[in-house]
Parts: sequence; C-alpha cells; structure tokens
Amino acid sequence: MGDYTIFHHIPWGGAYAIYFFTIGISAALFFFSALSCFREEFKPLRLKAEVASFVLLLVSGGLLVGDLSQPLRFLYAINPLYLNFASPLAWGALNLASFGIVSVLYMVVIKKGDEALAKKLAVIGSLLALGLPVYTGFDLTVHQNRPVWNTPLMPVLFVALSLVSGAAVASFLAAGEARLLAALRQIMLWSVGGVAVMLISLMGTTWYGGVGQELTFMALTSGSLSMSFLWLGVILGTAVPIALLLAPFGRQPNGVMLSAALILVGGMALRYSILVGGQIVQTYF
Amino acid sequence: MSELRTSSIETRGVPGKKRYAMVIDLRRCIGCDACMVACKAEFDVPLGVFRTWVPYKVVGTYPNVKKQFLPRLCNHCDDPPCVRSCPVEATFKVEDGGFVLQRYERCIGCKACIASCPYNARFMLPKHRTHTDITSVVDKCTFCHHRVTQGLVPACVQTCIGRSRVFGDVNDPKSEVSYLISHLPTQVLRPEEGTKPHVFYIGADRNLTEHGRAIYNLPEGLEEDRKSFGAVRI
Repeated sequence: MGDYTIFHHIPWGGAYAIYFFTIGISAALFFFSALSCFREEFKPLRLKAEVASFVLLLVSGGLLVGDLSQPLRFLYAINPLYLNFASPLAWGALNLASFGIVSVLYMVVIKKGDEALAKKLAVIGSLLALGLPVYTGFDLTVHQNRPVWNTPLMPVLFVALSLVSGAAVASFLAAGEARLLAALRQIMLWSVGGVAVMLISLMGTTWYGGVGQELTFMALTSGSLSMSFLWLGVILGTAVPIALLLAPFGRQPNGVMLSAALILVGGMALRYSILVGGQIVQTYF
Repeated sequence: MSELRTSSIETRGVPGKKRYAMVIDLRRCIGCDACMVACKAEFDVPLGVFRTWVPYKVVGTYPNVKKQFLPRLCNHCDDPPCVRSCPVEATFKVEDGGFVLQRYERCIGCKACIASCPYNARFMLPKHRTHTDITSVVDKCTFCHHRVTQGLVPACVQTCIGRSRVFGDVNDPKSEVSYLISHLPTQVLRPEEGTKPHVFYIGADRNLTEHGRAIYNLPEGLEEDRKSFGAVRI
C-alpha cells in the first residue's frame, strides 16, 4: 500500500554526474602533468595533460554554473560576505577557483620553461587538485539522510575514481610512449583495485543498512539503476579492466587502451548511479 | 535541556526566545486538503509544487479499510541540515521563533538544501509565474512567518476544519502545543536524522512515517502517475 499522491523530483541529476566525471579527470590530469616535474617518464604528458585538464576544468565549470537555477549568481559562491563555511559547496567553490588560477599560472610557467617555479606550482596545484574529488565526495557524505552517500568512504572513493579515470584519459594521450604507458597501467591497476574494494564495502554496508539503504541497494543491483551500477560500473568498468590489466594482453598498449576505455565507461556509470541512487528512495517519502 | 543542544542556532529552552512548533493530531485530520488550498492561496504557490501537502495510505483489509493521512510541511528543524548545506547562507534560522526561512535574492539554485532535507520540504519554483516575480529559486514553508509576527496563526492552522493542526510556542509552558506535547504521546518524522523537527504528530504510526518496502512493487496506477510526473523509478 503505497498510496502517496505527491511525488518529488531528484535535485541533482545527470549534469552533476557528468561534472563529477570531468572534474575528477581534470584533477588527475593536472596531477600527471605535475608529476613530470619529478618523474622523467611523465615528461611527454606535461603540456598535453595540462591543456586537457584546463579544458575539462572549463567544461566542468560550465556544467556546474549551467546546473544552477540562477546561473548569473555563481559569483555568490566565492563572495566572502556570503560564504557559509559549514557547507562543502563553499569550500568546493573556493577550491575550484584557486585550482583554476594555479592551473593557468602553471601553464604559463611551463610554456616559459621556468622549471623551479613550475615545480612549486605543480605541488600547490596537485594539492588543490586532490581537494576537488575530496570535496565532491564530501558534498554527498554530509547528507545524513541519503543512503549510499552518507559514508566516510565517499571522498576516498572519489579520489580513487578520479585517479583511475584520469589515468585512463592520460593513456590515450600517451600513445607510443612505452615507459609512460607502463607507469599509467600501474596507476590504473592499483586505483581500480582500490575502487573495487571500496565498491564491495559500499555494497555490503548498503545491503545491511536500514530500510532506505536496503531499498537503494535493490535499486542499484536489480532495479532501475542495475544496468549503470552493476553491469556498466562494477562489472564492465571495474572487474573486467582489472582482469584485462592483469592478463598478458593488458601489458600491451592495445590492452591498456581497451582497459582505459572500459574504465571511462565504468567511471561515468558509477558516478551517475551513486549520485542518483542516493536520491531515489527519498522521492517516495 | 541545554545538554541536548548541539549547534548554536538551536532555540530549545533558551529563556526569552520563542520556539514555534506545530502539533498535528492525525486522529482529527479528515484529508479535506483545505490546508493545501489555504497555503496555495496565501503564497501563490505554483501548480505542481507544495509548501504543505497531505499524502495518504490506504490501510486495512477489505471491507475494513481506511485512508491514513499525514499532513506534511517544513519541519523547521532546530538543527536544520538545509541551513548547514547552503553555500551562500540563502537559508537561515531566525533566532527568535525558530523559523527556517529563505533569502530568495541570494539563492543561487544549487539545490544542496533540497538534497539535504530529509522531509522533501523544499522545491524549485518554476521559471514563469503569473502573479509573483520570485522564480527559479528554492522555496519552502515559512510557518507563515509574516502572519505569526502579526499575532496570527499560519494559514493552514487557521483553515483546518477538524482543528487537527495546532500552532504555538513550545518555550511557553502555558501554550496549547506545550500542553499537547507534554500530555500526549507524539511522534516526529525521521528522528534518527538528528534534525530535531518542530512538527509533532499525534497518532502517526510506522506505516506512514517510515520508508515502506512496498515502494518496490507499487500499484500499476501509481507507477503510471510517477512516470507521467517524470520521477525516477526505483
């Protein structure tokens, strides 16, 4: 007997999921570009990854602003007179803005070839880049009434997802560079392994949770989100790439590229289903 | 009671401060929806969205069936998650009275407050409205702040034909709401969320207040309604 007559929309939909995806990749690509200041094999990625990171940052900013119902008020989110520091979104807006500034400076400096300054900016930018998936995770974690979101795993999961998706994009940018591809394969393997462990943990705690969590688990595994979460996210985008990367074929460039493509599909599907999954049950309340 | 206060904006037991609350006696609610109509009229609430709404469930076994109503509105929590989550302080709690209100001119429409509300009390105003130019920002019940500060009760309370809704100051031990809360068993929605709601129910049972497993197998007609509304299926 579920005769409720008023229905509710989910507040955060597809645009927000795409934002999570692009900002995660942008952060990781900056990190790989920054690594080139310290690791020789990442040198070929330096400019390419930085440019791709910056383009994705612009796309992410556009998505975020476009999703606001009052897009022209986006500057309020970085206005010190208005900021509410209890909200992760406020920290996120500051993090995003400062990452953008450092990213531009870093690009100018590496173009000029000032290695010493590039190193300093690489470290500062990498810390800010780390803050991006962390804050997006906190964005979800703080909502105590949302199943799946309200777990301390979320920021860590988003860092791992960011690293694995970024490494996947970087492996396409690194075509022909054997040493770099091998390094990226290692990063992908370890971070997708981390994602797998966290997904198992997330599914377990959701399954064993209260009624809202149990219903969300059902939606994610056998309901309307089962295709994106279970099949695309967990199996095709996480389990299959792990198997591929461990197999002899996964050590060849084509194997790494194939894994990277699957990881990108899975990364998007996981972000979408985690975001929407946490909101479905609430629409029935 | 000060030991129960976890945030500085709570007004529980603060001397000299009012703490408005609503008690809804479900034994007296007949589901006439007059409260929804009064609210719509008071605030020009657009079609499709509600500041207060009266969902129901049909319970029992034929022929002994009945509709159980659960009038809903913003719970004006003592520790509101929407206030915490708003990045620009567009939503805030009034210290004297405990109203949780919205600054329309500051709202950026990020919908974080909608995501954080366990009661679905918040909604997005449509882009076009006939009589009011407040559009595309988040809106919610105000406990009729403008009426209460003039010494009136909220529009839904004023119109309630069964006197199911009672409004008053729970910091005043002589008020009717204080009497009802202290003399009758009351329930609040989702107490486990720690929001300390200010809407108290008399006679609400778990059928109404908890997520039911039945939503996984909704009656076909209801599923059709949800689809036409554009809601995501479970």
